[in-house]
This record gives sequence, structure tokens and C-alpha cells, in this order.
Amino acid sequence: MRLMVLLKLAMRSVGRNVRRSILTSLAMVLGLALLVFSRSLAEGAYDEMIDSGVRMGSGHIAIQNPEYLTSRKLEHRLEEEVVNLASEMTQDVLKESLVTWVPRLAVDGLASSTAAAVPVRIEGVDPDRERTFSNIEGQLQDGRYLEVGDRLHAYIGTELAQRLDVQVGNRFVLTAQTATGDVEGQLVRVAGIFQMGIPEVDQSLIHIPIDTAREWLHTPGAASTLAFLLKGAELTDIGVETLQLKLENERKIRVLGWQESSPELAAAIRLDSTGNYIFHSILLAIIALAILNAVMISVLGRRREFGVLQAMGLTGVETGFVVFLEGLFLTFTSGVAGISAGLLFTWGLFRDGLDFSIFMEDGLEFGGQIMEPIIIPRFSVEQILISTLVILSIGTISSLYPALRASKLDVAEAMKFEQ
Amino acid sequence: MKTAVRTTNLWKIYPQEPDPVEAVRDISIKIETGDFVAMAGPSGSGKTTMLNMIGGLTRPSQGQISIGDQEITEMSDKDLAQLRLERIGFVFQSYNLLPVLTALENAEFTLLLSGIPKDERRKRVLELFNKIGLSGLEDRKPGKLSGGQQQRVAVARAVVANPALILADEPTANLDSKASADLLDVMERLNQDHGTTFLFSTHDPRVMERSRRLITLVDGQIESDERRNHLSVSS
Repeated sequence: MRLMVLLKLAMRSVGRNVRRSILTSLAMVLGLALLVFSRSLAEGAYDEMIDSGVRMGSGHIAIQNPEYLTSRKLEHRLEEEVVNLASEMTQDVLKESLVTWVPRLAVDGLASSTAAAVPVRIEGVDPDRERTFSNIEGQLQDGRYLEVGDRLHAYIGTELAQRLDVQVGNRFVLTAQTATGDVEGQLVRVAGIFQMGIPEVDQSLIHIPIDTAREWLHTPGAASTLAFLLKGAELTDIGVETLQLKLENERKIRVLGWQESSPELAAAIRLDSTGNYIFHSILLAIIALAILNAVMISVLGRRREFGVLQAMGLTGVETGFVVFLEGLFLTFTSGVAGISAGLLFTWGLFRDGLDFSIFMEDGLEFGGQIMEPIIIPRFSVEQILISTLVILSIGTISSLYPALRASKLDVAEAMKFEQ
Repeated sequence: MKTAVRTTNLWKIYPQEPDPVEAVRDISIKIETGDFVAMAGPSGSGKTTMLNMIGGLTRPSQGQISIGDQEITEMSDKDLAQLRLERIGFVFQSYNLLPVLTALENAEFTLLLSGIPKDERRKRVLELFNKIGLSGLEDRKPGKLSGGQQQRVAVARAVVANPALILADEPTANLDSKASADLLDVMERLNQDHGTTFLFSTHDPRVMERSRRLITLVDGQIESDERRNHLSVSS
């Protein structure tokens, strides 16, 4: 019964000082809306980075020889029977979560033309599978991407083409150490030229048909990596765990999540995320100060009122509780309004993506990946729940001190206070 | 006659630099149940401090206070709050109604805290409002009431729970002559009808005139204590 009285007093008091309540709420609503917006944008950007990163890299889940990640050498490849076993088993385990997968056979070598010799990273790919997996075909500048049936064709970056001084249709030679230990050359013709916007990629990556690579390198049916693309990055951990359990007896196989196979990207996201958390913590601290300030001013300005409440028979603790409830009520209503405003604003204006191309004329590289200029914000229930919980906690903590002050009031002194 | 309030060798010293202030000095008084007592004296004479100590809002530096047969000086804050709720009503100089509540809600506040059911609360408040001329003003917030009306609501709030003792600190200080007279009529009537003990602190000669006992304080001590043999409720 008394709790209801205290609640009524608190709510009426918030309602009485409409201007103060609105001003306080406004600070919180704007802060929270900004928090939701920036968090959704960051989540969307991370999704974009991960998606772009895993497509260009080793997928959400990669299967490799245990030594390959550190050596990147041909000798640490998956042989044909391992490729067959792993690809079948993985497809069977991942089932519904799997979008597509690709085998890649990679080797470091030298690209030589009449103009220059340039160190390169040669990747043998299955053209049909690759175009559903990576976005490299979309970066085409000239010519075409590899096609099924191509044998002596290569897809190279713009900077490499410039250094080799070759164009679509021109030939050049790839040289690398094969599985036999001999250094052998392979003549290829430029089928297409791409530009990713990442200098290291544009000046060194070459795609050739995987069958050509296997034949040239004397590694029939082999692959350096089997890369699996899932429906979402959040499925990675469970997929990796299941596969690791399933393949634990296979000594020549290592299952890696994208964080392990693309450590640069994972580190960049962690770093950016930390920066975001700091920014969000500052925002939350400002919101906390706004609540503290509003509730504190309210307490200091209403000492006589609190004195009267205690003279009427309320205890100090109950008086403090009224103040606490006021802070909590203000926080809750502003919190709901702020999160709703943030969601509506973000969804209403940017559900199709926020175009950053004006800031990214030369492309934006992040964690070794090129980012798409249009970022689609992502909302997650978890994020909204966490934001709500954080706001409620902040409201609770910020209201505690004013509540304590109100509960420790000297009633006789408070009655002298001029309102 | 039963004793409503008894103070024994009561002191209140405020530890102030350079010299402590002795607001109340060794006051012993006994107020009988149903009495109508005014405590007069110039500013700083200790009237309000006395009321605050008797009401349990301030603890004495020394001495004892009893409300009825209850010694209150050693009571916990929680017990004092309960005592105020059940046995003491306050009327303040500045009315001190809760601005967020209507006149009716202000008046029923102590009943609400005591857990009296809503119907009973409303019945008691409306009867009282009718008796003290506040009918029709139940739903007004304090800001929409005149000073006299606000003070009558404050009196209603103080007496509605039938406390044994009403402590009124300069209740007429902010009222004009007519409003003061009306308020005193109301309080005298309540005193007569319910036997409620009233203890005022006042400068106001009209209040002193209407009191049945006048205690005059000077510099924290009793200068005079006289019983007056009249009671005049205006018709």
C-alpha cells in the first residue's frame, strides 16, 4: 500500500516538473538514439567487413593442413583424399547453415613479362564456385572473370597489370616451386583485370583455374584451403566446434573460424569495437550525469517538500525511495523513448543503407579488406536488451546518491528552506 | 486530566562557531490533553525549536520529552516517523501542502500512509472539508487555492487522522485578518469537538488572545506561563 503511495508521489513529481523532465529526458533520448544509431551502424559495418573479409579470405570456416596457416607453403596442402573427406563431411555437418564453399590451391611465385618480374600470390580457383563465393568478379575493370573451361587464363589486379605492362589478351609467365621441388613455369593469358582498392591485393593476387594449378604444381585434387561460407557470421563458432569434434581424429586437418584464418580482420574489428565501446561509455556517462543532475537539482529544490513528507510520517528511507523512484521512472521512460527513437530514426531513414561513398572516393580499407561504401545498419535484440539494461543500471546508480541525500535530510532544517 | 506533552529540563544547543547557540534552555512544561496552548515570543526565542523537538523532528541536546505516556527522546527515526503518523499533526506557517497532490489527496495523505481504505478516507476528508468550509475545492491543486484555503487544507491534513496533538508553527503568519479568524475558528471547533490538543508557536496577538494558555519564551527560556479563561469561537 505504502509502496503505491510512494510510486504515485514519484510519478506525480516527474509529471509536475514537465519542463525539467522533458529537458532531462531530451538529453537522454538524444543520447540513446545516437547510441542505438551508432551501434546499429557499427554492427552493420562489422557484418559488411566480415562478409567482405570472409569472401575474399577463407570463408567463415576454413579447413586447412594444420601447418598451412603459419607456413603458407604448398607442401602443407590438403591431399585429394583429405579434400574429398573434409568437403563431404563439412557439407554434411553444416547442412542448412552452408551457403557455398570453394576449394583454393595457393602458392607464392613470380609473374614475369617482358617488362618486369613481380612476386605474386597465385590462387587456383574453381571459377563457377568462386563467383558465388567471393566478390572479386564484381571488381572487374577490364576483360572478364575466369570461366569453366578456361585453362591458361589468369585474372589479375590493375597494379600488377601495370607493373607487368600487360593488358587483357596478353601473355605472361608464372613461376613457382612445385610439389616435386622443382621450379616450373606456366604460361597464362590475361582474361580480366580487377581493382579491389587494396594495394597488396591489386599488385599481387592472381586467380587461375584450379585444374591448371593442380596440373602445373603436380598436386592432383589437392587444395590449400577449403573455404565455407555460412548464412551468418554468428554461426561460425558452433560450426567450428561441431566440425572440430567430428574431425578430431583427422591429424591432417585443422578447422578454423574466420577470426583465426583472418586475424588482421578480427583484430581490426576488435580494435574498432573497443573504440566504439569507449565512445558509447562516454555517451552513457553523459546520460548518467544528466540523470544525476536532474534528480539532484530536484532534491535540492524540494527539501521543504521532503521535510513535510517526513513530518507527515514518512521515514527517511521512504523519502529517499520516492527520489529513487523518480530517477528510475525518468530513466525508464527516457530509455524506452530514446531506444525507440534511435530504432525508428535508423530504420526509417537508413534501412536500405547509409551511403558513405562521398567519404570513400578512393575506397576504404579496413583490416585488410575493402569496405562497401553503403553500410546497412543491423539491429539485434541482444543489443537492444543490453542497451536497456545498461540504461536502467545507469538510472539506478545515478539516482542512488540523490536518494541517499533525501533520506539523510535534517527535517527541521529542511522546513526552513525557501522553495 | 491526562498529560498530552511533557518536557523535562529540555535543552537544544546548536554547535556553532565561535559560540554554540543555546536555542532552548532547560524548559520543563506539561500540557494537558485537550488544551489549546500558544507559545509566544520574539524571533529566536526557541518556539519553533520547541515544536520541532516535541514533534520528533529534531532531537534535544539534553532532557526528556513524552507524548502521552510515551518517552520519545530515545526513539529510533523509524519509530518517531510512526509516532508522527499516528499521534501528531503538523500545521506549518507556509502551509507546505504537497504541490503534486490535490486538496483532497493532501488532506487524506496521512490516512493513506496509515493504510485506511479509500472509501473511509474519502468519507472522513469530505466530512471534514464540509465542516471547515472547503467543500467543492477537493480536486484543486494547492497552487489554485488561496492562502487561507491552503492553510485550512493543511489543518484538515493535520487533524483528519484524529491525532492526539496538533503542533502549529505560526499558522496565521501568512494570512489576512479574516482568514486568520476563520482558521482559528476551525481549530477551536476541532479542539472542542474532538478534544485534540493544540500547541501553537506564534507572534500573532489574535492567536494569543484565543489560546487558553499562553507560554512566553525569551532567549530559549520560559518568561511567563499564564492560563487564560476564555474561549471564543465565532459563530
